[in-house]
Amino acid sequence: MTIAERASAPAEAETDHTLTLIEAVREALDEEMARDARVVVLGEDVGKLGGVFRATDGLQARYGEARVIDTPMMELGIAGLAVGMAMKGLRPVAEIQFADFMHAAADHIISDAARMRFRTQGDWTCPLVVRTAYGGGFRGGPYHSQSVEAYYSHVPGLKVVVPSFPADAKGLLLAAIRDPDPVLVLEHKRTYRAIRGAVPEGEHVATIGQARIVRAGRQLTVVAWGWVLHESLAAAEQLAEEGIEVEVVDPRTLVPLDEATILASIRKTGRLCVVHEDTRTMGFGAELAALAAESALDDLRAPIRRVTMPDVAGIPASGPMEDYLIPDRDRIARALRELAQVDRAAARSIGMPTRGDGAPNAPQIAEQSAQDQALPHRAGSVGAVREPPLPRGADGREARFVRGANWSDLMVASATTVPQATSVVEVDLSKVAARIDDSRAAWAERGIGADYTPFLVRALAAAVARAPQVNAIWDAEARGARRYHALHLGLSVLAADGESARHAVLPDADTRNLFGLAIVVQATREAGAQAPDCLADATISLTDYGPDSALFAVPLVLPGQVAAVRAGAVAERLLARDRGFALAPTVHLSATVDHRALDGMDAGVLLGEMKRFLEEYGGDEA
Amino acid sequence: MMRGQACGGGDIADHPPAIESAQLLRAYRWMLLARQLDETMWALRRQGKGHFAVSCAGHEAVGAAAGLAVDLATDVLAPHYRDLAACLAWGLTAREVVAHYFGRAADPCTGGRQPYAHWGSRERRIISQEGPQPNVVTHAAGLAYAARLLGEQTVVWSAFGDGGAQKGEVHEAMNFAGIHRLPIVFCVENNLYTQSVPLSKESAVVDLSLRAQGYGMPGISVDGMDLEAVYAAAAVAVERARAGQGPSLIEARTYRFRPNTSNDDDTRYRDPDEVDRWRERDPLPLTRSRLLERGVLSEPDAERMATEIGQEVADAATWAEAESDAEPESALLHTWADRRVRAAAE
Repeated sequence: MTIAERASAPAEAETDHTLTLIEAVREALDEEMARDARVVVLGEDVGKLGGVFRATDGLQARYGEARVIDTPMMELGIAGLAVGMAMKGLRPVAEIQFADFMHAAADHIISDAARMRFRTQGDWTCPLVVRTAYGGGFRGGPYHSQSVEAYYSHVPGLKVVVPSFPADAKGLLLAAIRDPDPVLVLEHKRTYRAIRGAVPEGEHVATIGQARIVRAGRQLTVVAWGWVLHESLAAAEQLAEEGIEVEVVDPRTLVPLDEATILASIRKTGRLCVVHEDTRTMGFGAELAALAAESALDDLRAPIRRVTMPDVAGIPASGPMEDYLIPDRDRIARALRELAQVDRAAARSIGMPTRGDGAPNAPQIAEQSAQDQALPHRAGSVGAVREPPLPRGADGREARFVRGANWSDLMVASATTVPQATSVVEVDLSKVAARIDDSRAAWAERGIGADYTPFLVRALAAAVARAPQVNAIWDAEARGARRYHALHLGLSVLAADGESARHAVLPDADTRNLFGLAIVVQATREAGAQAPDCLADATISLTDYGPDSALFAVPLVLPGQVAAVRAGAVAERLLARDRGFALAPTVHLSATVDHRALDGMDAGVLLGEMKRFLEEYGGDEA
Repeated sequence: MMRGQACGGGDIADHPPAIESAQLLRAYRWMLLARQLDETMWALRRQGKGHFAVSCAGHEAVGAAAGLAVDLATDVLAPHYRDLAACLAWGLTAREVVAHYFGRAADPCTGGRQPYAHWGSRERRIISQEGPQPNVVTHAAGLAYAARLLGEQTVVWSAFGDGGAQKGEVHEAMNFAGIHRLPIVFCVENNLYTQSVPLSKESAVVDLSLRAQGYGMPGISVDGMDLEAVYAAAAVAVERARAGQGPSLIEARTYRFRPNTSNDDDTRYRDPDEVDRWRERDPLPLTRSRLLERGVLSEPDAERMATEIGQEVADAATWAEAESDAEPESALLHTWADRRVRAAAE
């Protein structure tokens, strides 16, 4: 095939330039048509007009009417012709002007393009590309606004890519044209001109089937594509201001899906929110939810959430109606905020007391596990929606700390039913103090005061990661402790007035960054007085009454939890150092454990890890 | 006879090319092989050995004429599903046909993935036939466009039924072919029924070749039972296409002698007398007697030929029946170029 042999070697990409997404599409088409004479473009208005979105602007003038083909208005025919062209050895790029018109072309795409290789055992193949503009936001009404990814992602044999950034628009389109299988390229028309970005000049071929972490975070995973990906990024920005770290994953390719990258993110954060502009039922979000449920259920801390177009029969042309329906940054942020608070208390793994009394037998564990999953145990926090508390122990002998319980009774219960063992360590805070000094100005700019407590929380989280047995709930019936994956910290801090205590539960304290913790700690100090009942939802407690008070104090374990940590006053003290003495900011940390579930040694391990974290503090985060 | 009933275009009917004796004999062999394979496969279905049969009986002259009219070394067949004779002309062997019928691993067309009569072979230039009819017509147009762009002299023979002719698909393909004067011949094999629905309920016009006028191409209706009549139109149309004069439409009026498929009961919608009347115009005896009349073939030669073909078909059937099925797991192959489909996790 002479024309194929003329395909020249690609030029190496050298530099980037800034393009809109539509310019990147055009650049890819232009470069590939110049490189490979087998590439043809066909569609409605792709010639002199250059496409209704101008994706093919100038191409007909450059490559001629035979290679840039203005077809009659016939979506089915366009797809069918492309099939025949591809079978003969061309590399057709068909443009379906609006994704809404894909339905007319579907027979050739589904029945033929996607199935050609299969039905002929690879004898005939269909290396074609169908590009189409999808999505709303233009007051286009029900027939110029649809999202069609779910229909076509259900078609084995057809790859589906959704570039959301200019570099991907170019890279994925080039990859699609060179792919041996048919590829549907979905371009959100709202991104065409609104999204600009760096695009490598010359040869830039992306890998189909690779997702990208667009924004890293620890607390939540958002998977989104198209316009709502950009809205999700804006929402993530909002949440970062509130100390919630959202990871945003751009799948880039829906078929084949980069399951590994998405699952790794879900496993890291424990929470999944899928955002798509397509309608909800049987949308691609359902597939992602199934993926998470099949492969990462144990890692999920919250039910999977979907933010989507409601199941309306069409997107109205009316602006207010359209805006109401399409997920935007505020709607996404609301969903993420709620999701960040939810925890399904990953009680699937049952942590046994390390050297406890009377280990429950297997049937008891199984029964308890079943009960655990039935019980709505959610962590609360400042401003969070609360779920009803766990019921008291069925035997009535030993009350678990529940909201509304009389505090004095609880303290009595703690003292009389929980055998407690306490350890104390002295911690040099020099490095933390230096870090606080470094951050003081930046934090102050954002209205947050310098504070040791966020560092103590980070230290506790680090310690729990090394000694997970301390983050657990004592189960009276099972006579054992259930470990929690999630660290829900019961935080009791000195109020801003310096005279009273404030309480809050920090769900997922281990996933929050330092600044996020600082925000919450300050908010807690400044909150109005409240009963400590909320601490019922915690899995471990930390008290910081120390700054203005005692050298150290013995914390009580709240019935139900198995460990509590308390900080004494931070003060400059003489520490032995380098065969001499040095003055250093110092704190004494004490830990008490429930001796039925843990040993005194566990208290020592907990404190040892906290001490090491704080004394070796190297700025574990920005 | 409807020979020479030109609609719109003109020159197809004006100069009917004569058919050489040797060519006639060649075509007859394709037809006879097709008919005998057909009867064998139909019988195997009745014996419960095959799953599904689609008969070509009645349509043989059309495909054979196409085989004579084109250049088999370069031209492409986009077959109708009753075009067994054409597929044989384009090079499928009896063994391959029956292997496809049984869906064996040796089925070169689909490897057991499609039921019988879904031919295809890149090597033989037969475009893959599909279930939804007649998608292959648009593929044929696209392929014709591509062939010309690639500098080839290829002509595409695109056949479909009178049922398929009613779909918007065909309008789009013929309109595009007309606009771009593509090297393609459209051939409607009109057997008067779309499964059970008669032509009167499919089309307001009787002469389907009239449609050509709307696409700026010549159209002609010919007797599809008459090999020479089809050839005359086909040869001109192929010549036009190759000369860059664009597409043509041939309506070949034919009849199917058997039900639509082995799953059909044609007594519910066709009068058996009608079938018998059409059987009197069976293209095989018609062609045979013409060969005898012209002295191309003697009676003993004709008998010998029939016996040889009978043996070829019997051998093909025995061989294909004994062939193994494809490995079940091989169903996971060929969805993608670069990877095997993951077996469903349950």
